[in-house]
Amino acid sequence: MAPLLAVRSHLGWLRRLHQLLLWLVLLTGLITLLVFRRADPGLLATLSGRNLTTMLQTLLVLVLLLIPISGVYSVISQFAFWNGWLGGLTPPAELFGDDPDESSSPCFLIYLDGIHQSERDHPPRVAAFLEALEQRLPVDVKLIKGLETYTLTPSRLADDTGSQWFWRRLFSLQEHHPNTLVSVVCSFLVQANNVIKVGISSDRRYGPILNYELALKVAKKLAEQGFCPPSDDTRGPVELVLLGYSGGGEMAMGMADYLRRLCRCPVRIITCCGVFSGNQLLEQVGAITMVVGSRDPVAAFGRIAYPGRSPLLPLSNWNRAVARGQVQRLNITGLNHNGSNGPFADRYREAVIQAIVSQLSSHEPVSTT
Amino acid sequence: MIPEVLGRLAVWLMQADVGLGLAVLVGLSMSLSHLFSLVANRLTPRQIAVQLVLDGLVLALALLLGILFNILMIKALTGAVVHPSELLDKLGAALIPGLFYCFVAAPYISDLIATVIWFLIHLNVVTLLHARLDLPYEQALVMATPGFVVALLLVMVLFHQGWQASYRRLASELLPESPV
Repeated sequence: MAPLLAVRSHLGWLRRLHQLLLWLVLLTGLITLLVFRRADPGLLATLSGRNLTTMLQTLLVLVLLLIPISGVYSVISQFAFWNGWLGGLTPPAELFGDDPDESSSPCFLIYLDGIHQSERDHPPRVAAFLEALEQRLPVDVKLIKGLETYTLTPSRLADDTGSQWFWRRLFSLQEHHPNTLVSVVCSFLVQANNVIKVGISSDRRYGPILNYELALKVAKKLAEQGFCPPSDDTRGPVELVLLGYSGGGEMAMGMADYLRRLCRCPVRIITCCGVFSGNQLLEQVGAITMVVGSRDPVAAFGRIAYPGRSPLLPLSNWNRAVARGQVQRLNITGLNHNGSNGPFADRYREAVIQAIVSQLSSHEPVSTT
Repeated sequence: MIPEVLGRLAVWLMQADVGLGLAVLVGLSMSLSHLFSLVANRLTPRQIAVQLVLDGLVLALALLLGILFNILMIKALTGAVVHPSELLDKLGAALIPGLFYCFVAAPYISDLIATVIWFLIHLNVVTLLHARLDLPYEQALVMATPGFVVALLLVMVLFHQGWQASYRRLASELLPESPV
């Protein structure tokens, strides 16, 4: 009983510390706002909300402050996990059991969802797509789905320590509020949170840490599914394939090299309408296949948003991977990023599945257009 | 239109001048932005302390070199000799955007925030040189740019170390490299 109480007390202390960090970030934002206002008394008047222009200015200032504050808070959550305050940061040596599971598949296809993901369960369209994909997969390939790509712990966003009160209210509003606008705003906030995670993954300072933490999470999920790192005497070839849709493409690129080291087996990447930076370590990763739509403005925006993918920087990690012939591009004419012409829609589902299965069936990337 | 806006900016900057304390606050804000990546990469308290002392020294050096270059440029282009403390008094308010440098800790948009802040600092220096020394904007721009570039390069070198350390730190956390 006593050890249990001690653990509870310890967890309570950690939770309070985490909340304190959140308040510190908010306080920093407030102080800078006050400094800004104090610097010029005239600005005080502009923040009073007397007319529409002033309100818009106020809103702009708030958004400009809120975006970096949200980003910094996300990073703080990541620190908390990295420092072991939230538990779940397993030492790599303890990830897998000693006895290999002989019935385990030689190839695992790990699906990483896009930024719309808020729960472990995928939206109905994505779930239907994954079901169809699973039926078409070669017998030796096992699909891993239901991974929360944008949280570090195996918990839902609504169980996130420190911000669960916020997310639970948000999901409640999203599902039950009669006003559509409120639901849309709540959905937007969930996506904004996930966009920040994509941003952290591509950030050169924090990216390696988030990507390592995600790789650890995927490795633990694989261990649950019977995966064991191959050894010389017991197993045949084992391969991992990361399938990332939209922002999941960035997460796949980010974690691939760490996952390869943790699982000690080759890792390949397939992105579907992927938005990614290409900043990561890709040299030791296997083939990278991009399934792209000819009418996908979001994936096209990724090339502009991430300078590392511009041909103007030939020495970037991404451009060096392209120069090595590591990257294969599969174009699907007419495919959009989402909606009725997206990869999960009935119209393009077969073409996308065909592209993915053709890559899985071959050891070398297959070029089709 | 543009000179009018810059004129108003100059008046605002002169009113908002809080002296040398501002440089210290800006330095702290810059260090805070750096502190996040150091903590994230699990550096020990001693390593972080050393890094923050290094931050303070290099930031002070960047400020001094920036002022020195400005003094030299003013001397070369106008013949006037300005004392460093006098120039810092006149141009100190230009650092106000640097108070927000702690937001450079935010992921992904950090480069954009840093670029905007550095641009605003440079614009402020040019505006204040115009307002305080009565120089044309073009000449003020030519005077301010070399010192700005030197200071910017020093800060870039200083903050560049953080992410390289993160890769080294991570590599030590992971299992030894295995042939795959």
